[in-house]
Amino acid sequence: MSSKRVAAFALVAIVLLALDAWLPSWLNPYYATIVTRIGIAVVAAVSLQLVNGFTGQFSIGHAGFMAVGAYTSAAFSVYVGAGWLESLLGLLPAPLARSLFYPLVLASGGLAAAVAGFVVGIPALRLRGDYLAIATLGFAEVIRIAILNVDAVGGARGFSIHAAEHPAADLRFEGFGAVYAVVVVTIVVVARLVYSSGGLSFRAVREDEVAATSIGIATTRIKVEAFVVASFFAGVAGALFAHSEGYVHTNSFAFLRSFEIVVFVVLGGLGSITGAVLAAAVLTAAPELLRGLGEWRMVLYSLLLIGTMLLRPQGLLGNREIDLGWLRKRFG
Amino acid sequence: MAEDLLQQLVNGVAWGGIYALIALGYTMVYGVLKLINFAHGEVYMVGAMTGYYAARSFGLAGAPSLLGLVATLAASMAVCALLAAIIERVAYRPLRSAPRLAPLITAIGVSLLLQNLGQLVFGADPKFFPPLLESRNVFEVGKLSVSNVQLAVLGTAILLMAALQWIVMRTRFGRAMRAVSFDAQAAALMGVPVDRVILGTFVLGAVLAAAAGVLVGLTNPKIDPLMGVLPGLKAFVAAVLGGIGNIPGAMVGGLLLGVIETFVSGYLSSTYRDAIAFVLLIAILLYKPTGLFGTTQTEKV
Amino acid sequence: MALLELRRVTMRFGGLTSVSDLDLDVDPGQVVALIGPNGAGKTTAFNVVTGVYAPTEGSIRFAGREIAGRRPHEISRLGVARTFQNIRLFRGLTAAENVRVALAAAKRSGLFDVLRPGSWRRQETTLCAEAVGLLERLGLSHVADTAAGSLPYGDQRLLEIARALATRPRLLLLDEPAAGMNPSEKQDLGALVARLRAEFGLAIVLIEHDVRFVMDLAERVSVLDHGEKIAEGPPEAVRRDPAVIEAYLGAPDAGGAPA
Repeated sequence: MSSKRVAAFALVAIVLLALDAWLPSWLNPYYATIVTRIGIAVVAAVSLQLVNGFTGQFSIGHAGFMAVGAYTSAAFSVYVGAGWLESLLGLLPAPLARSLFYPLVLASGGLAAAVAGFVVGIPALRLRGDYLAIATLGFAEVIRIAILNVDAVGGARGFSIHAAEHPAADLRFEGFGAVYAVVVVTIVVVARLVYSSGGLSFRAVREDEVAATSIGIATTRIKVEAFVVASFFAGVAGALFAHSEGYVHTNSFAFLRSFEIVVFVVLGGLGSITGAVLAAAVLTAAPELLRGLGEWRMVLYSLLLIGTMLLRPQGLLGNREIDLGWLRKRFG
Repeated sequence: MAEDLLQQLVNGVAWGGIYALIALGYTMVYGVLKLINFAHGEVYMVGAMTGYYAARSFGLAGAPSLLGLVATLAASMAVCALLAAIIERVAYRPLRSAPRLAPLITAIGVSLLLQNLGQLVFGADPKFFPPLLESRNVFEVGKLSVSNVQLAVLGTAILLMAALQWIVMRTRFGRAMRAVSFDAQAAALMGVPVDRVILGTFVLGAVLAAAAGVLVGLTNPKIDPLMGVLPGLKAFVAAVLGGIGNIPGAMVGGLLLGVIETFVSGYLSSTYRDAIAFVLLIAILLYKPTGLFGTTQTEKV
Repeated sequence: MALLELRRVTMRFGGLTSVSDLDLDVDPGQVVALIGPNGAGKTTAFNVVTGVYAPTEGSIRFAGREIAGRRPHEISRLGVARTFQNIRLFRGLTAAENVRVALAAAKRSGLFDVLRPGSWRRQETTLCAEAVGLLERLGLSHVADTAAGSLPYGDQRLLEIARALATRPRLLLLDEPAAGMNPSEKQDLGALVARLRAEFGLAIVLIEHDVRFVMDLAERVSVLDHGEKIAEGPPEAVRRDPAVIEAYLGAPDAGGAPA
C-alpha cells in the first residue's frame, strides 16, 4: 500500500471517528436520526444503482433485501450476539468492544441478504425489463409477508432488538461511525466495480447483451453478480436501520420503501454513483426539512419529485459523476 | 362442502371483476406507452371517493336504487376521466421522448401526491360508502347464496368489459389504439393522432377504474385515501399475469387473482392472502416469462 | 485439419429453412468469403456458428471441438470473434472502453480481483496499455475517449473489429464489414483485413455482397442462395459460375450483380 493510500485511509478514519464522537453530542437527537437515515438511504441507493443504473436491469424490490438483512442481523444480535457483546464489554473498553461487535452484526445482515439475492436472482434475472421489475417487487413482498409470519422475530408485533437475559449489552448502535463507515465502503466498492476494466462488463450488459456475449461475457453471471453485491449492501443497510432504530417492523420494508430507493436512483441519474448519493440525501432530508409545512409537507414533497423529473428527465446528474475532475471543469 | 366451494367461487369472481377493471387500465396504458402507470390505483381511489360524495349529494344514502347506482357511476367516471386527462397532460406527455424510467418516477410522484392530497381533502379517516342497493339474496340453494349486490358488481363489470371490447375491436378509436400499441411510430406516419389516442387510452382506463371504485364501495364500504395502494399493485400483478399489454389477458388475470385470493383467505389464512398474488405471479413468470397471454419477443441479431 | 468445420448444418425457424445442409471448411489463417443475395442465410450461418442460435441439425466443430448449440460466450472464449451487420457497439462506452471490456472478458478477471488493491491497479495499467495499442493498430487512437455511439460510421465498423480482436480470436467472422463504405474506405478495409490476417495469424470469414471487394482478398468464396451453398471455389471460378450469375440476376432486389 502506497503512503498516499495510507494517508487517505487515515483521513477517512479520522473523519469518521470525529463524526462519531462529536456530532451526536452536538446534534439534537432528532437531527441525529436524520443524519443516520441519510447514510442508510445512501447505502441502499448506491447499491441499487449497480443493478439498475450500471447493469441495466430493473429491480424494484430492494427493500425486500433490506428486510432480510434487518431481521437476520436483529435475530443474530438478540439470540447470539448479545452474549458475545456482554463478554466483550467485560474484557475490553466499550468503544473497542463495540467496534469489534458491529462488523459481525453487519456481516450477518449482508450475507443473509446476499444469499437471498442469489436465490432470487438466478430465476428472476432470466426475465426482462418490466417483467423483471414486477418479479423483484413480488419477491420482496413475499419475503416481507413471510417474515411477518415468523414468531421468533415478533411476527406482526415487530421485533425489539433487546435481549432480556443480557441486560448489560445494549444492542443498539451508537453514533454515526458504523453508518458512515458502511457508506464509504459501499461507495468505494461500487465505484471500483463499475469503473474498472473488469467492471465494464456491467455496463456492457446494459448497453447490448448480444454484443456482450459475443466477446465472451457470461451475461447471466454478470447480472447475478450485480444483484448479489447489491443485495449484500441492502442487507447491510437493513442491519444498520434495525440497529439504529432498535426495533424493526416489516412495514418499514413494504414496496413503498422499494419505490423510494428506485426514485433515488433514477432522480439522481441512472449510472451515476454520486447522483444516487445526492438524491438519497436530499430526498431523505426533504420531508424532515418540510416539517414546518405540517400536513402539506408530503404534498409538496410529491410535487417536488414530479417537478424535478419534468425539469431533469435524465436525472440530476445524468450519467456523470461529481468528482475532482468534474468540479475543476465546472468551477476551476 | 361443494356449496361452500361454489360460494367462494362466486365471491371470488365478484372480487376478481373489480381487479380486472383496474387491471385493464394498466394494460391499455402499457400497451400504448410501455409505461407502468403507478398512479392508476389512486385514480381508482378517487373513483370511490367521488362515488361516495356523489351518492350523498344525490341523496342516495337512505334511498337505494339502481338508477342511483348508475348516476353515481356516471359522476365518478366523469371525474376520473378528467383527472386522468390532467395527469397525462401534466406528468407524462412532457416526458414522451425522455429516458424510459423518467415517466415511471413521475407516476410514482403522482401516486404519492394523490394519496397525500386525498388525506388532506377527504380526511385520513375511513368513510363508509352509502348502500346504493338494498342487499338481498336473489339466489339461494342450501348454504350457497348470491346477493343482488354481487350480481350488480359482476353485471356492471361484464357490461363494461364487453363495451371495452367493442370499442377496441369495432371503433375507429379502438383501431387507432391497437395501431399505436403495435407500433407508435408507424401509426404516426399513417396519420394516427398518437397523442390523442394516448390521452383517450388514459381516459378509458380511468373510467373503468372509477367504476371499480364505486363497485368496491358496494361490497366493501370502508374507503380511505390509501385504499388504492394495494389493490392498484395487485391489479397490476393481474395485468402481468395475463401478459401486460394484452386486454383479454388483464380480464383473465383479474378474475384468476380474485378467485385465488378468495380461496386462500377462505381455506388457508387471510395473512397469506396478500402474498398469494405475488407467489402466483412469480410462479407464472418463471414458467412463462411474458405472462399467460403475452407473446415472446425475440431480438433480431 | 480445418479450424472450422460445418457439416450438414441446417437452421429452421418454424417452417422457414434459413440455412440448409451447409458444409463449410475454414483452415487456420485462411480468408473465406461468404457471398449471396439478401436473405440467402449468410448472417444466420454466422449466428449458428457463434451460438446465437443452436442449429436444428448438423455438426459444427471448431479446433476439433463440437460447438453446435453451445452458448455464445463459451464459443467466444474458445476463440471465435465476430462483428455484426448492424453494428452493435457499446454505444455509451468510449472507444477505449469498448476494447478494454473485451480484453478484460478474455482475461476472465473475476469480480473480486477488483477488491484487491495491488493486482487491480496493475491489471488496469496493462489493460489500458493494450487497449491503446489495439486502437493504434486500427488507426483509432485519436478517438479513444469518444463515446462509441458518436463515432463516424466507418470508425464504428473499425472499432467493432478492434473489439473482436481484443478477445484474442483464432477465427474472426466479419458480417458485411464494408457495408456503407465508399470505394476508398473499402480499399483501406481490404488492406486492413489482409494485414490482420498476417499479423494475428487469423482465419477470417467475411460476408459481402460486392464480389469485386472479395476478389483479391479471399482465397475461397462460398456462395449461398436460399440457404443452400450453390458454388464454392477460388474467386475467379466462382465469378464465372452460371449458377452464381443466375442467383444474382434471378433475384432483382439483390445487392448487385457479381460484375
